[in-house]
Amino acid sequence: MKWLWYLFCEGWANLRMNRTTTVVATLTTAFTLACVGIFLLLYVNLRNAADWLQEDIRVIVYLEDRISTDNTQELEEKLKSDLTVAAVRHISKEEALSEFRSEFPSDSHLLEGLGENPLPASFVVTPASNYRSPDAVRRWAERVLTMAGVAKVDYNQEWIDALAELTRYIELTAIGMGVILSAAAITIIGNTIRLALFARRDEVEILRLIGATRAFIRIPYFLEGAILGGCGSALALGMLKLGFELFRQQIASTGRFQGMESIVTFFPVPISLLFVAVGMGLGVAGSMVSMRRFGEARG
Amino acid sequence: MPTTDAMIQLIHVSKSYERRTALSDVTLDIEKGEFVLLVGPSGAGKSTLLRLLIGEERPDEGQIFVNGKNVSRLKQSEVPFLRRKIGTVFQNFRLLPKKSVFENVALPLIVQRASAGDIRRKVIETLRAVGVEHKKDQLPGSLSTGEQQRVCIARAIVNGPVVLLADEPTGNLDPERTAEIVELFKMINARGTTVVVATHDPHVMTLVNRRVISLFQRSLSREQQTRASVST
Repeated sequence: MKWLWYLFCEGWANLRMNRTTTVVATLTTAFTLACVGIFLLLYVNLRNAADWLQEDIRVIVYLEDRISTDNTQELEEKLKSDLTVAAVRHISKEEALSEFRSEFPSDSHLLEGLGENPLPASFVVTPASNYRSPDAVRRWAERVLTMAGVAKVDYNQEWIDALAELTRYIELTAIGMGVILSAAAITIIGNTIRLALFARRDEVEILRLIGATRAFIRIPYFLEGAILGGCGSALALGMLKLGFELFRQQIASTGRFQGMESIVTFFPVPISLLFVAVGMGLGVAGSMVSMRRFGEARG
Repeated sequence: MPTTDAMIQLIHVSKSYERRTALSDVTLDIEKGEFVLLVGPSGAGKSTLLRLLIGEERPDEGQIFVNGKNVSRLKQSEVPFLRRKIGTVFQNFRLLPKKSVFENVALPLIVQRASAGDIRRKVIETLRAVGVEHKKDQLPGSLSTGEQQRVCIARAIVNGPVVLLADEPTGNLDPERTAEIVELFKMINARGTTVVVATHDPHVMTLVNRRVISLFQRSLSREQQTRASVST
């Protein structure tokens, strides 16, 4: 195991040898990854909001006025037996009227002049959890609309679609920013590794001549890259957490977005760990690029 | 195929760098356990020949066998394993300045993933054999040139190579230190290791008194088989 210890010590020695470069590279990587992190955080919270709205989705199936009681029951059975439906509640014309009056007492006089109750009977349908995506709800609504006795199918489609679209844009921006800034992080770390390689080129040469394999020579530099990337991403995570808490305190103190501070969330632990792991991966990628260029340079 | 007793065999080997010819149609055999001097003026191709033997360069033409392996056809991934069978001594020692004498000598064993116990035992034994055991904790910079060359030799032999190649090993040493280093090579050879020393130092030729292979104008001009054939 002496060789493992040697490889670890060499990786650590590389970092210590170029202290200033190491600190600058770690900080630059941290800021770069923090930029990606901001978009990720925004994305995660919008996804949460979208999921929360999705959870609350209700589809209202309005019935034709002339539908018979038998047909209403038949339709209810059909909806209840549908695997994509979690719950069905029937609201008769009378119940609709009384709900309207209780919800809008000041507007109840609007219906008085009409004589007959103009409000339709309906089914309030809760889709099953796996069928709450905008596409699934749209497809379901289109299918139900063709059933006999159904006059209209209504749900808060515009709002859900808009949120889904915004989430998609944020997702695409996060991916785009992620790719560009990851390339920047790879370059920054790669340059640091190249400096270490240049400083230790004699040692690399000696190792080659005494029979070290390519992997043995490269591992300390991969370790250096992983440590740099890992430290950079952990620091970025710390900065994001600090910024997030300050933001949450700010919105709580203004009182304009009451309750919102309890809805916004930071990355859960698995995502945080993944963030650090990705940073380490970028560091190793930076090392690989440098090692390849170094190898090409020396022929 | 190499002859049975040959540790090193070159068959019509040529090597050029762009327009400059470094070696031209060289054929030679070095037997197992032999001690050979490779002599010739600067630029005669001695260092090129040694680089070819350790797989650092590939010949343009011809074949090279070391310890039964065709070096000229070795895959890049197999070269490190060839080098573990060959110890190399350099004129400028090439010791790592920030590592102690012990750590420098331990490197080839670490590379081969030897156990900590084995490393300690073999490094101490080797340092004792070359006479610098008492300097094991010092940095190379604090040693004399003669001591640095002893450490370099210790690093080259610590893993028991079958061949020891030395490129101008006494180039930086005074006559007294040169004699000591030559004695060390003789001792290593007496233990069964094939030793090839590239030199242009006539003093070394007198001290060694073994077969001399002369490289002149990048080809083998003559091979002196008799002992004491080179006089100063």
